[in-house]
Amino acid sequence: MLEIKNLHARIADDENGTEILKGINLIVPTGEIHAIMGPNGSGKSTLAYVLAGRDDYEVTSGDILWNGESILEMSPDERAAKGVFLAFQYPMEIPGVATMTFLRAALNSVRKKRGQKEMTTPEFLKFVRAKAAELGVSDDMLKRPLNVGFSGGEKKRMEILQMAVLEPTLCVLDETDSGLDIDAIRIVSEGATKLRSPDRAMLVITHYQRLLNYIVPDKVHVLAKGVIQKTGGKELAMELEKSGYAEFTGKAA
Amino acid sequence: MNVTTLKTKAENQLREQFDDAATTLPGSGWVKTLRANAFAAFAADGLPHRRVEEWKYTDLRERLRDVPAPVAASSKAVTAADLDRALGSLAALDAERIVLVDGVYRADLSKITAETTVIELMSLAAMLAKAPGWLEAKFANDSGVVVALNRAFMTDGVMLKVRKDQAAAKPVLLVHARAGAEASAIAVRNVISVEAGAKLTLIEAHIALDGAATGNLTNAVTDVAIADGASCVHIKSFVDRAGSTHLSTWTTRIGKDASYRGFQLTASPALARNDINITFAGTGGKLDLSGVFLARGSEHIDTTLVVDHAVPECESRELFKGVLDGRAHGVFQGKIIVRPDAQKTDGKQMSQALMLSPDAQFSSKPELEIYADDVVCGHGATCTEIDGDLMFYCRSRGIPPDVARAMLTESFVGEAVDKIEDEAVRAAISTLAIDWLRAG
Repeated sequence: MLEIKNLHARIADDENGTEILKGINLIVPTGEIHAIMGPNGSGKSTLAYVLAGRDDYEVTSGDILWNGESILEMSPDERAAKGVFLAFQYPMEIPGVATMTFLRAALNSVRKKRGQKEMTTPEFLKFVRAKAAELGVSDDMLKRPLNVGFSGGEKKRMEILQMAVLEPTLCVLDETDSGLDIDAIRIVSEGATKLRSPDRAMLVITHYQRLLNYIVPDKVHVLAKGVIQKTGGKELAMELEKSGYAEFTGKAA
Repeated sequence: MNVTTLKTKAENQLREQFDDAATTLPGSGWVKTLRANAFAAFAADGLPHRRVEEWKYTDLRERLRDVPAPVAASSKAVTAADLDRALGSLAALDAERIVLVDGVYRADLSKITAETTVIELMSLAAMLAKAPGWLEAKFANDSGVVVALNRAFMTDGVMLKVRKDQAAAKPVLLVHARAGAEASAIAVRNVISVEAGAKLTLIEAHIALDGAATGNLTNAVTDVAIADGASCVHIKSFVDRAGSTHLSTWTTRIGKDASYRGFQLTASPALARNDINITFAGTGGKLDLSGVFLARGSEHIDTTLVVDHAVPECESRELFKGVLDGRAHGVFQGKIIVRPDAQKTDGKQMSQALMLSPDAQFSSKPELEIYADDVVCGHGATCTEIDGDLMFYCRSRGIPPDVARAMLTESFVGEAVDKIEDEAVRAAISTLAIDWLRAG
């Protein structure tokens, strides 16, 4: 279970100390998928980065518990080993590092920290190729440098592939639908939905309702002005699609 | 015998060494005069220092305090296994092999399988002893103090020719091995000729065998003449950890429609100066020059190149990447000259340094001298730390910071290594670079 308690955060080197997250309270039980929706500038991506442990942000108060344990003091790689995974809105390109090499370094790192044995090369190749095939990721893409020259859709598929390979228990998807056409959204969503499982929690961050047609959430939270303004079922997403976010952005936080 | 301005201890050592060696250095007739004139040319200026423009960042007078004695005739037994061990990843290459041990050609360790109708190989020492008149012309275009010292002291080297329209089927691995247990100085001169329409891949590997001394001085000059329509790939690998001073000069002349791809890996010398001088001598020539320099501690690596577009319609590309840690100093000076009638010149140059420590230093001096008006030329230089966004991305995937840093550093260097087209050679060079990075 993910518990976010009265979370306040700001940009680490912002001298004015303007808070972006102003007291977020949120619970995502294991086995559920929750969506966070909100207008631009509401703090959605900040929340995603703070969950993953990016040090550009400073948590000024509150706490984040994952399965009862505070992860605030953990580095990003320690969090990854604990099962936290962030699918980036803008995945990074790493020239000169083959995708397969990157995946293997990542998987071996988390397996080591999780006390599991490293996979042998044949085991690893078989494991990755099977997951890659499901996502339509070709062998050629796996050989190429990570994300270099990939289209927007290919990059997002690669994020979901990494998620499938690392088998996290807390998946945070940051605007995974941005910049994708309908076909690409469908492939990516199917990949993500396959990971739905009783021992896994998912937080899907999005601006638009359309992604939630494919990844159907158990709950929808509206984030605006750095706090959760409203929580409802999946029908809340449909309402927002009609009425927009004006109701929340006009309201004092 | 010299009327000179020599002042420093090192300069005086060089004079004593030259006077002592005059009788033993190979060569007769005009060769003796050539050496004496070369030493006089050196003596006129002395060791280059920071007030000499091209040596501004590498003050050789200041840094070369002591010159080890010229190498004594080596009695040390060297086996192919010794060489393989020191060659590391290069040992397994399917290549012709030419071996120089402490500056002396070793026929017993060299093996050329190609027919003599394809490759002609001679030892320079043997040729200097015979001193045929045509050989003198090979030294006619020499310039610079380091090359003058080389000409004065050269003991040996190889004269390698790939004959007209012939292709050397395998790469030629030219091994410069250091074996002596006492620190010594060597001067080696290689003269490479790729005749019209011929093809050659030459890999120069500078290695130190087990038990070799530290603090060696090497002055290695390789001249390459690429005739019309010929192509040459020229790679140098120098991975030191023995406090060596490495003075290297490549002088290459590219003929009409000829191509030259050069690459240099330089890692962990006490001091290295890589001079590269390229002249386009015929239209349609193509140059691709790249390199990786890796330094930590107080190591110093200088790459100084001059690309002379003396004729129209030639293309040059340069990409040099350095990783600098500790208090290391990397220097890159790249001058592109475009002569008045060298229209349609296409030249691009890039040098990039990745700084792993706040005390490391990178000096970059790109220079474009363009006298023609219809050209495309550009240069760039960057000096960066490891990208924080990339670090976070790797760490969010569970990769710990040391592994992530190594991976991103390898990726940075990889872009230059990828310029080596031959897969086996590229893999071997990449292994040497990665081993250095991981040994941090």
